[in-house]
Amino acid sequence: MADVASALQKLATYRTQNNRASQETFDRGVIVLKSDVAKTIGEEGWAFLEQLALAAIDVGRTDVADQCLQLLSDKFHGSPRVDCLEGILLEATQTPEAALKYYQDLLNEDSANAAIWKRQISVYRRMGKVEKAVEELSQFLDTFYTDVEGWLELADIYSTCNQYTSALQSLSHVLLLTPQNPFYVLQAAETAYTAGDIPLSIRMFLMAVDMTDADDSVALADSTPTGITVRAWYGVKLCARRLLKDTRLSNSSASQTPAPKNINLIDELATERLRVAYSSPGKKGEIAQGRDELFAWAALI
Amino acid sequence: MVSYTIAHEAYLKIMFHAAKHPHLPVNGVLLGKLSSSEMVVIEDAIPLLHHWTSLSPMMEISLDLSRTYAESVGMALVGYYQACERLEDTSLAPVGEKVAEKLREQFKDAIAFVIDGRDLGENLRSGKASLIPYLPLQLSSSWRPYSPPPVAFTPPSPFILASQDSPSRTAALLEEKRGEPDAILQKFGDFDDHLEDVSIDWLRNRACMAVVS
Repeated sequence: MADVASALQKLATYRTQNNRASQETFDRGVIVLKSDVAKTIGEEGWAFLEQLALAAIDVGRTDVADQCLQLLSDKFHGSPRVDCLEGILLEATQTPEAALKYYQDLLNEDSANAAIWKRQISVYRRMGKVEKAVEELSQFLDTFYTDVEGWLELADIYSTCNQYTSALQSLSHVLLLTPQNPFYVLQAAETAYTAGDIPLSIRMFLMAVDMTDADDSVALADSTPTGITVRAWYGVKLCARRLLKDTRLSNSSASQTPAPKNINLIDELATERLRVAYSSPGKKGEIAQGRDELFAWAALI
Repeated sequence: MVSYTIAHEAYLKIMFHAAKHPHLPVNGVLLGKLSSSEMVVIEDAIPLLHHWTSLSPMMEISLDLSRTYAESVGMALVGYYQACERLEDTSLAPVGEKVAEKLREQFKDAIAFVIDGRDLGENLRSGKASLIPYLPLQLSSSWRPYSPPPVAFTPPSPFILASQDSPSRTAALLEEKRGEPDAILQKFGDFDDHLEDVSIDWLRNRACMAVVS
């Protein structure tokens, strides 16, 4: 029973952290499933069954997914959440056309079923019907404007098709809806860079630094950049170098963003911050790796 | 045409990278040299990204850093590899072609590989390399998959595994201690991981390779 208890605990952690560690989830999940405990532990039990079903589909064990789904549909007959799960299982076991038909039937009954509509869009994307996916997703976002996941998906589709300006537009909605998330600011910074808008990119990288540099009470000079801040400083340095090397870039921002003043000072600051980051121990207290390569890169003009 | 040999450690790193992020696209570069006018030996692989693989800043930075490292150990960047998040997708994608072309500017026999994710577990166990080579078309910046016969990584194709049992050994290593804290993939990190924690040894992955030998 100790096995089951620890498995349940680990699985609950995966759920809260939104980890898609499917093989690990599956391995632990079947232990719990076999013990038949799921039905007796209330709400958590149902969330667990849903999680195991998804993991099972991911690792190709649709037999286990079937079992979970059966238990769920016995308990929650006609639930939209169970319908969605059925749809995902269908996507994994039958043709995309069969899945699309299943989703369309549900949408005909209720055209505002956001979860099902999103599944349908993801099937189009998986089939390679990019234009259709974009068309449907745009319509979806017209109706469900605040669906951040939808805007992120749209940005991703555009990026993978080299349409970086459109990706940036989608990300601007994400930033409006979740302005506190430095991760999305970083994504916008990297997308802007890829789109060739270096002034916008450097401003967004600097914004990400600002948002993630932990403590306002600790002076910048005394703090060590870690995690997402390191990535942001790399971005600042990359942009600063390009702006210094090619002054035309400062004036060619598609979004009409002015380049920051004192680029050479920003460049120096970014260099210094990166050197500090690489001269300090990493998260596990171990020394930074790849220092020589970083110092060589940072010294190049 | 030139032949390509993939050393055991390089092969392991490519597959470990894909295995660590089964739901995500991954990519990386290959290090090696011309051992003769007709043979490129791919001695090592450096895993780069598993995140925002269509965006260029971190790709540019990691390529530069990889090149500096390669030169320090007497090698060149000789190729590129990637895996797509959708199993059936074995294209080089727009990004892959661009990177491969860029590598070709500095190493004229640059090569690209796409991991064939279909039935990968099964294929590795039965010894299939599961790598699809991509070659540049003459007078073009397009790359096309190598077409058999002979099937890649079977003689006498121009693609060779230095160790015939690389695929099966990869499967075995991945299976060992799967899900446990000391599983081999826990010791493996790419540039994206390194950006979150600079103590991660993405250029060499020494801790991971130490377990393997």
